[in-house]
Amino acid sequence: MQSNAALEYDYSLAKKFTFLTILFGFLGMLIGTLLAAQLAFPSLNYLLGEYGTFSRLRPLHTNIVIFGFTVSGIFATWFYIGQRVLKVSLKESKFLMTVGNIQFWLYFVGALLAVVSLLMGITESKEYAQFEWPFDIVVVIIWVLWGLNIMGLIGIRREKALYISVWYYLACFLGISMLYLFNNMALPTYFTSGGLGSFFHSVSMYSGTNDALVQWWYGHNAVAFGFTVPIVGMIYYFLPKESGQPVYSYKLSLLSFWGLLFVYLWAGSHHLMWSTVPDWMQTMGSVFSVLLILPSWGSAINMLLTMKGEWQQLTENPLIKFMILASTFYMLSTIEGPIQAVRSVNAIAHFTDWIIGHVHDGVLGWVVFMIMSAIYHMTPRMFKREIYSKKLIETQFWLQTTAVVLYFTSMWIAGITQGMMWRAVDEYGNLMYSFIDTVNALHPYYVIRTIAAIMYLAGFMMFMYNIYKTVTAGREIEEEPQFRTPIAA
Amino acid sequence: MFFRWIERNPFFMAAWISLVIAVAGLIEIVPDFAKAARPVEGLKPYTVLELAGKEVYKKDNCIACHSQLIRPFKSETDRYGDFSVSGEYAYDRPFLWGSKRTGPDLHRVGRYRTTVWHEAHMWNPPAVVPGSIMPAYRHMWKNAADIETAYAEAVTVKNAFHTPYGPGIRKGKEAWEKYKPTVLAQARKVAEEMKGTEGVSKEEVLKMIDSGKVPEIVALIAYLNRLK
Amino acid sequence: MREEWRIIAYVVTSGILVVMLYGYILYLYRSEKSGKRDYEKYGKLALDDEIDSPVIEDKPASERYKDEK
Repeated sequence: MQSNAALEYDYSLAKKFTFLTILFGFLGMLIGTLLAAQLAFPSLNYLLGEYGTFSRLRPLHTNIVIFGFTVSGIFATWFYIGQRVLKVSLKESKFLMTVGNIQFWLYFVGALLAVVSLLMGITESKEYAQFEWPFDIVVVIIWVLWGLNIMGLIGIRREKALYISVWYYLACFLGISMLYLFNNMALPTYFTSGGLGSFFHSVSMYSGTNDALVQWWYGHNAVAFGFTVPIVGMIYYFLPKESGQPVYSYKLSLLSFWGLLFVYLWAGSHHLMWSTVPDWMQTMGSVFSVLLILPSWGSAINMLLTMKGEWQQLTENPLIKFMILASTFYMLSTIEGPIQAVRSVNAIAHFTDWIIGHVHDGVLGWVVFMIMSAIYHMTPRMFKREIYSKKLIETQFWLQTTAVVLYFTSMWIAGITQGMMWRAVDEYGNLMYSFIDTVNALHPYYVIRTIAAIMYLAGFMMFMYNIYKTVTAGREIEEEPQFRTPIAA
Repeated sequence: MFFRWIERNPFFMAAWISLVIAVAGLIEIVPDFAKAARPVEGLKPYTVLELAGKEVYKKDNCIACHSQLIRPFKSETDRYGDFSVSGEYAYDRPFLWGSKRTGPDLHRVGRYRTTVWHEAHMWNPPAVVPGSIMPAYRHMWKNAADIETAYAEAVTVKNAFHTPYGPGIRKGKEAWEKYKPTVLAQARKVAEEMKGTEGVSKEEVLKMIDSGKVPEIVALIAYLNRLK
Repeated sequence: MREEWRIIAYVVTSGILVVMLYGYILYLYRSEKSGKRDYEKYGKLALDDEIDSPVIEDKPASERYKDEK
């Protein structure tokens, strides 16, 4: 491969997946907002007949956010970062381009069909693994195609050293492959019963406690390899690039990488505390959860130190603001998680809204903030236009930050309140509250959460508008900016 | 040196990543499989009607708000009954422990709620539990539960996992046609305990069953009554 | 009995992995101190990422290590 002066990076795939990221992000958050409102105002359950109840819509929300929004974000940034740090263009390989395009269309159509299937109630009812077997197969094919692209791009790379982000994307690919395959092992009943019943139905290969163990090994680590590993991969590229500062310590980033992979997997059993899985396993889950703070904070602190001596950028550049806040929320949720994994805390927190709060400070504060700043960074370079409005980004930033804070504080209080009420006894040792008392006590927090959700969604719509205006009406730029993303004042 | 070997080649690295990821699962999960799958003494597999009810439970995703796992605390056993043990779940594919209690636990709901209670409650929750934020599930009176798929599931778990079903549960259309009246009879028994609601009378429910279709609500109640 | 073996396997594997992780830290710092390798230069990979930017390593690691011997 000779280097060619006219050769350019090919962003067509990154653009396509960026579009999907925004589409699914909006859908997922819209449904999320509706769900939040339904808990505060139950009459909202009847907007869509049987398809509009909280229970039917909840898997839609989680799956669209995980497999729609986040995974498209991972794909979009991979097709952007991958080329750049390996210094090779997708244009140089017709094969990889074709594979990428098949991946995109299969993913787009597959995702829409999967959404419809969940709405119809076709589900395995395992959390975050609801898709029935035909959709699982499509997911596997898409994932293999993506793997092909990663390996292929690494194979034809010009830069022989692999940047740390590539390590993270590679780990994301491998981790999710393993988890998804094992957790979704199921027998399609149509074929095993001589053609009876629904074609879509399947029955899990594992039962009861085993199924729970496999499921939470999956559930916990899908968070690891979907919401942590690739997002860390993104920030390792976008923060240094946007600020013009190399990673504070590259060695620390390597260590945190192996530390994270090594520790994360063992902590899954903390989702099953006080259940019927063996005690020693629960204890180990608890211990490893606490150990997990080290590699997580390793990466987060590395990011903060990357800004050393350049903190003025935080006030000048809204993208830096987004990314620094994202790593701060990452630190918050990675200390909150281990706290919830302590057995006595877990006894109160489990089954309550505190867990919902934890997930959302991680996802809203860390994952969504990071993916949005990645898109803000990529768009001017992909479309050769300046970001349309700085004011809009600033407003969005404050609106969404307030929303996240409102969200998790209300859920913390709601969760702890309910957890304490469930166990409260009077002087004779009788339970003090009926279950419905503990539900009614949460109403104000559910209302606050709904307001937070609306604010966050509004912020996301500002983001959408800003990107739309950038692509259609942003001032054109001649040369690709090296570091700081150009934003019209 | 070992670490050089990892750095040397992306594919070695990929292999090493996979190994580091896999080891936790291998040690934590795999060895327990045989033990945890053993049923408690006297545990019966779900009847076909109950399986159909479990499908309704899954379809409308009750797991979003209800757990089926009673933890070993006095506050939980006082509220919900004996704490759960592993062998009780031996026939649960998938497990339905849930992870959030927006509503109460249901693992032993069959001990303290009745067919009539469920009927009235599913039709209009706040009428039975004032202040309830649970939505009504009235479409369950109209939709027919998929008993054929439930039967297919029973056949599958019998053949693949040796779940102890009787000789009536066999592969193929013919066996199903022969077994179907048993399911309808079970459904009729549940429906006869029902009282009827303001929207759908008991007679209409019975009529639907006699025409060969089991309303989802009947299957669901059969399943909930079974949770003991 | 089986349970005990698993606990032992669990602790031993964790132990081995911890030792390896520390070994890795040592390895990283030693090879940088002895001048064999400069890890921090890889940080530049994110900054100079134009398609015509100079590459930091033009040979794969397997070849580089052969030269060292």
